Amino acid sequence: MINHRLTLDYVLAPGFFAPFIDGLLTATAWARRCAACQNVSYPPLRTCTCGEAAGEWQKLKGQADIVWRTEGVDGAFALVKFDGADTQSVVRLQGIEAHDTRGCLYRPDGDAPQMVLGPISQDMQT
Amino acid sequence: MSLPPVIVSGAALTPYGRRKDGSGFRDWAAEAFEAALAMSDLECGDIDMLFVATESDFFSMQLNPGSILASDLGLVGVAATRCEGGGASGQVAVHAAVNAVASGSAKHAAVIGVDPSASSLSGDAIRTLYGFSFDAWTDGMTGVTPTALYGLSYQAFAAEFGTTNDDLAAVTQQNRENACYNPGAHLGRRDSAEEIAESPMIASPYRRLHCSPLSDGAAALIVSQGSALPRSRAGAPQVAGIGAATDHMHLGARSSPGHFTAKTRAIKIACQQAGIVPDQIGLAEIYDAYAGAQLQALLALGLSDQPAQDLRNGRFAPDGRCPVNLSGGLMGQGAPVGATGVGQTATCALLLEGRYHSDLQPKAVPQYALADTHGGICTVAATTLLRQAVAA
Repeated sequence: MINHRLTLDYVLAPGFFAPFIDGLLTATAWARRCAACQNVSYPPLRTCTCGEAAGEWQKLKGQADIVWRTEGVDGAFALVKFDGADTQSVVRLQGIEAHDTRGCLYRPDGDAPQMVLGPISQDMQT
Repeated sequence: MSLPPVIVSGAALTPYGRRKDGSGFRDWAAEAFEAALAMSDLECGDIDMLFVATESDFFSMQLNPGSILASDLGLVGVAATRCEGGGASGQVAVHAAVNAVASGSAKHAAVIGVDPSASSLSGDAIRTLYGFSFDAWTDGMTGVTPTALYGLSYQAFAAEFGTTNDDLAAVTQQNRENACYNPGAHLGRRDSAEEIAESPMIASPYRRLHCSPLSDGAAALIVSQGSALPRSRAGAPQVAGIGAATDHMHLGARSSPGHFTAKTRAIKIACQQAGIVPDQIGLAEIYDAYAGAQLQALLALGLSDQPAQDLRNGRFAPDGRCPVNLSGGLMGQGAPVGATGVGQTATCALLLEGRYHSDLQPKAVPQYALADTHGGICTVAATTLLRQAVAA
């Protein structure tokens, strides 16, 4: 047999998606509002579902309703709808109980920009 | 627009499974190609173009696999192209070859699909790589696995159509039962509904036995211009139509996350080319990466308005009106990614010629067969319709 170990450290430039990626690292949800139909996509779509590419960045509150959730050996994930967004997002759930129906964007544990949804604390609800 | 006559002159698959015999992906590719070439009654020198499907260089540690396999297979000098479309890579390669022959660029084109999805890396490493089959900067970065994404999509489907875990078990049992009669299958087995329900949870609602396995293997096709076909291959099936389409990369950007809309677009194009409607399809190899995905596919392809009920009433059984996944599908036969779409089309061709495994070969061969493949969470769909040879 041929044994080979490969270790790769990527440094990827986010380009157009920089506001979204940078926002994840500070738990800030930067979405994209379409210039034509005004739909707000999060994660941002470079070209809106209506076909329009022009748009502007819009900050969302960062709280979301859980639409569907799945749990298993690799953790819990959900399809959620952030307040103010017209599209849904796939997020990792962290500390969200099975009966919780809402959560908010959390800063990821590591350096990688992840979409992580955690519980909403009482002071966040106000 | 109908296709000029393109014939499947050769078709072959290696056994799928976890190979532990010391052979590698280049051996499997050669085995499949040699068998397909022998069936076609052509020589290596007749092949004008080679299309190679592999999903990821990280499986094989080999970039530029087209040139490598051209060299291995005695095809040095031919144009060699590598095709990639995630899980649909194999069917994307079939389409590239069909288009090359239909356009007159090639008289005979070879398609090889191959991947060492089971033996070259750990299952965890493969799952990590598969996570980047989706938008790597959004979904991929969360660490979401394919099973979790499929689980989310299926829940939306199940809520709309009222399908249950019993339906997931029914798909699982039928596909793996079929695989028991396929000597090249990875996972022919007979599990009770209780055993399926008690298998480990991977990502709810999917348990281990609802999932297709990671497999090693290869498949090959030779597609030819009708006018260049050896006389001995007059009974070979024709490509009646091909159709491919995409959907939004983000599950959440789709208006109906439970629907495989790209498949609906793809089958519409293929049926228009073939001049048929889905109801005329008499057997199908469906992309059942997960049990629920088969139900979602049957609906999207127009093969059923109520897939769970039609599954239960036998419509898709081996003796049903439209047998589905006689091979066992990905769940039973296995899923060496690059080989999958090529193998599905090869299976349809062998079935239409009456050359399939004897215990699975229908006595009455239908006129049309469908090979349905997709990549991502049906982000790209590719469908191929084959038609039985027209009697001379």
